[in-house]
Amino acid sequence: METITPFIEVIDEIKEAGGEIFKMCFQCGLCDAVCPWNKVRPFSMRKIIREAAFGLTEIEGEDIWRCTTCGTCPAQCPRGVKQIDVSVALRRVATEYDVFPASVKSARTARASLISEGNPLQGERKKRADWAKDLSVKTYAEGMEVLYFVGCYLSYDPRMKKVATATANILKKAGVEFGILGDQESCCGESIRKTGSEQVFKDLARKNIKTFIDNGVKKIIVSSPHCFHTFKNEYPEFMVNFEIVHMSQYILELINDGRLSLKGEFPQRVTYHDPCYLGRHNNVYDEPRDLLKKIEGLELVEMEDSRKKSLCCGGGGGRIWMDTPREDRFSDIRLKQARKVGAQILATACPYCITNFEESRLNLEYENVLEVKDITEIISDML
Amino acid sequence: MEGKKGDFNVSLKTKPRYIIEDKCTGCTTCVQYCPVHYPDPFNQDISDNKAVHVYFSQAIPLVAYIDDSCLRLKDKKCDICSGVCKTGAIDFRQTTKKTDINVGAIILSSGITPFDPSAKEEYGYKTMQNVVTSMDYERLLSSTGPFEGEVLRTIDKKHPKKIAWIQCVGSRRVTEGDNSYCSGVCCTYTQKQVILTKHHYEDVQCTIFHNDIRSFGKDFERYFQRAEQLPGVEFIRSYASIEKEIPETRNVIVRYATADDGVKREEFDMVVLSIGLNPPAAYKEISEKFGIELNSHGFSKSDSSNPIKTNRPGIFVSGAFLGPTDVPESVFTASGASAQTGELLDYRRDKLAKERVYPIERDVSAEEPKIGVFVCHCGANISSVVNVPSTVDYARTLPNVVYATEQIFSCATNSAREITDLAIEKGFNRVVIAACSPRTLEPLFRDTLREAGLNQYYLDMANIREHCSWVHAKQKDEATQKAHDIVRMSVARAGELEPLLEFDLPVNKAALVVGGGIGGMTCALSIAKQGHEVHLVEKAKDLGGMARRLHTTLEKLDVQTYLDELIHKVYQNPLIHISHEATIKEVSGYLGNFTTTIETEGRIKTIKHGVSVLAIGAEEYKPSEYLYGESDKVFTHLELGEEIARGNKAIINAESLVMIQCVGCRNEDRNYCSRVCCGHAVKNALKLKEKNPDMRIYIIFRDMRTYGFREDAYREASEKGVQFIRYTPEDKPLVEKAKEGGKDVIRVIVPDLILGQRLELTADVLSLAAAVIPSTSTNEIASHFKVTLSPDEFFKEAHVKLKPVEFATDGVFLCGTAHYPKHIPETINQAYGAAGRVLTLLSKDTVVASGSVARVNDYDCVACGACISACTYDAIEFRDTPKGKKAFVNPILCKGDGLCNTKCPTNAIMLKHFTNAALLKQIDAAVTSKDILEQMDAVLEEA
Amino acid sequence: MGNDILPKEIIQQFSDSPVSINMGDKNFGDVMVVGGGVSGIQASLDLATAGFKVYLVEKGPSIGGHMAQLDKTFPTNDCSM
Ligand SMILES: Cc1cc2nc3c(=O)[nH]c(=O)nc-3n(C[C@H](O)[C@H](O)[C@H](O)COP(=O)(O)OP(=O)(O)OC[C@H]3O[C@@H](n4cnc5c(N)ncnc54)[C@H](O)[C@@H]3O)c2cc1C
Ligand code: SF4
Ligand code: SF4
Ligand code: SF4
Ligand code: SF4
Repeated sequence: METITPFIEVIDEIKEAGGEIFKMCFQCGLCDAVCPWNKVRPFSMRKIIREAAFGLTEIEGEDIWRCTTCGTCPAQCPRGVKQIDVSVALRRVATEYDVFPASVKSARTARASLISEGNPLQGERKKRADWAKDLSVKTYAEGMEVLYFVGCYLSYDPRMKKVATATANILKKAGVEFGILGDQESCCGESIRKTGSEQVFKDLARKNIKTFIDNGVKKIIVSSPHCFHTFKNEYPEFMVNFEIVHMSQYILELINDGRLSLKGEFPQRVTYHDPCYLGRHNNVYDEPRDLLKKIEGLELVEMEDSRKKSLCCGGGGGRIWMDTPREDRFSDIRLKQARKVGAQILATACPYCITNFEESRLNLEYENVLEVKDITEIISDML
Repeated sequence: MEGKKGDFNVSLKTKPRYIIEDKCTGCTTCVQYCPVHYPDPFNQDISDNKAVHVYFSQAIPLVAYIDDSCLRLKDKKCDICSGVCKTGAIDFRQTTKKTDINVGAIILSSGITPFDPSAKEEYGYKTMQNVVTSMDYERLLSSTGPFEGEVLRTIDKKHPKKIAWIQCVGSRRVTEGDNSYCSGVCCTYTQKQVILTKHHYEDVQCTIFHNDIRSFGKDFERYFQRAEQLPGVEFIRSYASIEKEIPETRNVIVRYATADDGVKREEFDMVVLSIGLNPPAAYKEISEKFGIELNSHGFSKSDSSNPIKTNRPGIFVSGAFLGPTDVPESVFTASGASAQTGELLDYRRDKLAKERVYPIERDVSAEEPKIGVFVCHCGANISSVVNVPSTVDYARTLPNVVYATEQIFSCATNSAREITDLAIEKGFNRVVIAACSPRTLEPLFRDTLREAGLNQYYLDMANIREHCSWVHAKQKDEATQKAHDIVRMSVARAGELEPLLEFDLPVNKAALVVGGGIGGMTCALSIAKQGHEVHLVEKAKDLGGMARRLHTTLEKLDVQTYLDELIHKVYQNPLIHISHEATIKEVSGYLGNFTTTIETEGRIKTIKHGVSVLAIGAEEYKPSEYLYGESDKVFTHLELGEEIARGNKAIINAESLVMIQCVGCRNEDRNYCSRVCCGHAVKNALKLKEKNPDMRIYIIFRDMRTYGFREDAYREASEKGVQFIRYTPEDKPLVEKAKEGGKDVIRVIVPDLILGQRLELTADVLSLAAAVIPSTSTNEIASHFKVTLSPDEFFKEAHVKLKPVEFATDGVFLCGTAHYPKHIPETINQAYGAAGRVLTLLSKDTVVASGSVARVNDYDCVACGACISACTYDAIEFRDTPKGKKAFVNPILCKGDGLCNTKCPTNAIMLKHFTNAALLKQIDAAVTSKDILEQMDAVLEEA
Repeated sequence: MGNDILPKEIIQQFSDSPVSINMGDKNFGDVMVVGGGVSGIQASLDLATAGFKVYLVEKGPSIGGHMAQLDKTFPTNDCSM
């Protein structure tokens, strides 16, 4: 065993970066026991916290980048340690020192793209609304019923564009007067904040808030739980409050209000995956399920880890931009869980989840046995 | 409820039982016929019960009651039970009864509710079949439980082979729905469950997931070691998470963290959630109705200088409603509440209470022995091993036995009544009860004889439980045979029993309290306030004891101010006589009539008193480890506290301070936990942080034992930045003097288990949690008062739970740290407890002395003195008689243990109730002479 | 294995003592004890022995409290009945 002295300066730096809550940890190990990483490889949040407490963090290592911010451990920590805050603080310190392990390098590309184009996917800002070109979707104007905040993945990613299209279709069918912000829309900033680039997040947030205010926005519909979370829980740090509704909640509302009705049958076995930022972080568990249950013929089954225990797809906390070796992917396990309960469709409501699941689906060669769908895609087909 | 102290009017609603209590015999015929099955709450819903039932087999009162699930009560459908009850005890016309009562004081003992884990998904309770709570598990272990004491899985009735316990369920957690405090009992009751499980089933694997073992109570450390050392038992330091239930086997997967091998996953047949204690379910209602304040956790809000008192004069609290506590503390706080009520209502003592009257004793000495034998099933404790009916049949064949029968629980109220009734009806003059040990229940059965007009010494108990069914659980036939033997021997002895007289002794109504610390003073004051004289004897110049060196408590009591007030009250009280600088020279006498000689300030003084309370406190260990005494930078926690209070700049301005816990105890020399030092360390750390928030404080500990509400302070210390580092006794911290930046410092090197590295800390000050050790005068005082010591050399109470504040020696009581280390509020509670018990004696004019004592036959005594040296109670002395010097037994001091008998060379001394005649009969009955001859023949033949 | 038994003995002493379990017709007492667990029973007994008339009030159908549900109790492993 090596002998080392606590590094007081580093402790102070981590505290300044917002990670002071490490001091509450009493090393019970529960965070490690519940963390999804330990289903694929050893990872100890407890150790990360302990190292931070003595200023002994391996700042250049991979481990501080691992936490997917899935929210499982903070929800159970008996001492109220907000492990995500500690992770983010450590990443801020690493960003400050400009030290990154190889697997994180791609997140740097995303960051650069966010700074220049307002999205992490290296898409051009002016092409942000291209997905809607042929759909006669209006640009938001003051007085409209809702703003549809599309999000980066739905705007640029070929797979996710289908979800955007489905969403627009639903809103139109329901007669909702809505608009989008087009190239005025910027990334919500959720994931880049979690990778420690606080300034980039703040710039993005300010840009969006200004746009919202300038356009007189009151109610915002979002497709991504990450946007949902940030607008709802983090933008208020800037002293603004908008009414934020996730698409799954909104559709249910439309149906219940009689503005939307579903037709036909969907005789499929479906399982629903709770995205971390919708479920654990925001307690939205029932609406997506209630919505699926409204579909005639659909059989809803639950996977082994559902609701509060939902298994993270692996995409949060900026991990969506980082390299995760195949054997370390939670999404593979998730797809297997879906198969185990005999689901034909794995439904969810988050662009990161779908991206990861689609990739696992290819890797596991599940193309013929399991489909991955956003809830909106299923609903859109039933109108 | 309304009114004020001395005069409260309370109106009570008594729910109808729908049973006429006087008519019900508890026969449970109605229960057999009742068609409604529903989960039995007494058995934690594991097994079923009926709408009409007896709450549990030893319930008091033992009569049936009908609850809400009854069909007739619901929609007047059924009336089966009324039909089958032979005594016509069922009465559906009963309604809620309102009773108004007027009382002078109220004691709230509303206890606790076990934490309900079903509200939290993660615990898997109610969703997974084999996840049970510790309360469920208690029922599974119990012979009156759902499977008659067999631990089975409800789902498939299989014996679990691998069981996990998860600690701190609902406790020590800030997550919503959990409690932030430590429940204090679950660590130890889990160890109990493990020990009992291993006792039932040797091959079961037991794994306990925890984050600290909190063995802070008296003898708990040894108890933990006992559990830990059992084969197949593993304590793992990690909270555990329940991953899932395996659908096919219904086994449960548990995940936990290790420092070296990462997260592990293990399958168990059963998981027990060690649930904590919540305040009583109706705590809000209680607080509103009685107008008393609660703390933030829903327990009674206590003033740490007297936790038993509430904000409302005349209303007191005892037991677990004070905060999570175990049975011993629930018992002595009860006595404490009783003492405080006594202080308040002393003027009306004996005005309303009535003495009990027994029938006149029948003289049966001329009659032939007519013996009644009762064989008890003890639920299933006896009958699952011993064939009870065959034992009854056998008893009937024995000489002098006129009647024999079996009983499910002989100790239950109705069974005891049955014994009395049958004794009268069948006219027997001796009773043999074949059940458990006489140690606990003999008084009860003697009482049943008195009720029948028989001398109570005509009872003999044949112990077929401890001596038979419990030790021969696996040899049923042999055990039954042995039960026959035991009963036969008992019957033989019973025939020889003689009636004995007990006599009343006058009680001197003064008390002697030894030790003028917080415990002694509190106790003395309470006794004096109830109208009795108290002699308070203190060996030091001043009153105050250890508290003189304490300044604050975690509960924020200003100790010095409190102490000054207390001392003032003691001096002011005209009934308290204080002796300073006193040493005890001699103690003689016995309960009710002690004479103690003391030397005080140079003079000899003789004190006559009826009872004694020993409150001589404890001391601090002087460490020989960690540079104590070799460096002026090393202190004990007590010294540190004093230095902080003095405002010592060198300490308050220190940059860095290290504390090391468990110094001088929890080791081979002292195998116990000093209980107070974890709280003490946290208290000092918080105080220092308050004065110097930048100070770096490290507490190096083994288990943080901040039980109860102290857990909140532990958390607060973390919040303030105090760092906690765990060490193991195998790898203790290394401490050395060093220089750093030209300044003298202490260097502490300690391995951190999670980091897997050694931390090197530099300290300006090192403070040690020096053990609390028994007072130096413990041995001396113990020999004066003839009281015994526990293995750790603190005073030993008569019984941990039954008699936590008294000694086995009658009339001698104890409280405070002389009993075991404890915090100030605990000492205060215990001191009131001792006062409460003292008053049960002092409020009487007489006490009863046992009839079973030794007696010397003057003709045979040769005055050799062998008996005198054998007696541990100094009950025998020489007296001059007309026949010369003869030994004389003081019947009041004699405990009837018979040590003297065995020593007397001439058989001059005999023990009543254990006469040679009776014992020889009993021994002869063990093996018949025919058996002996046969055996001898067999041996001879072989030879 | 210990063999000292708790509430049972207390309860028995209790039936020897001048304690009224809220059944007497003269509704005038010295003390009311709310809760019939170990603590409430002990308090009632001590008070009764010390010369007070006690009303012991229990909301359940039997006295004994939670301890009655325990199989044995630490640290002596006595039977809790
Ligand atoms: C699983 C488990 C195992 C345990 N094992 C042990 C052990 O081995 N050893 C040990 O020392 N301790 C053990 N304990 C702790 C022990 O049970 C308690 O310390 C003890 O029972 C507390 O006694 P009490 O009289 O204060 O409260 P309780 O036993 O809770 O009794 C309170 C009584 O008051 C009644 N009541 C409540 N409110 C009212 C009201 N408003 N009006 C009238 N009546 C009311 C309740 O119905 C109850 O009968 C264990 C606890 C648990 C949960
Ligand atoms: S769950 Fe919380 S207290 Fe426990 S080890 Fe993790 S961070 Fe620490
Ligand atoms: S938030 Fe999720 S991924 Fe991050 S450490 Fe906790 S459990 Fe693991
Ligand atoms: S630490 Fe406290 S709450 Fe946790 S199991 Fe032990 S006694 Fe109970
Ligand atoms: S420091 Fe004291 S209270 Fe804490 S565990 Fe050690 S001996 Fe017990």
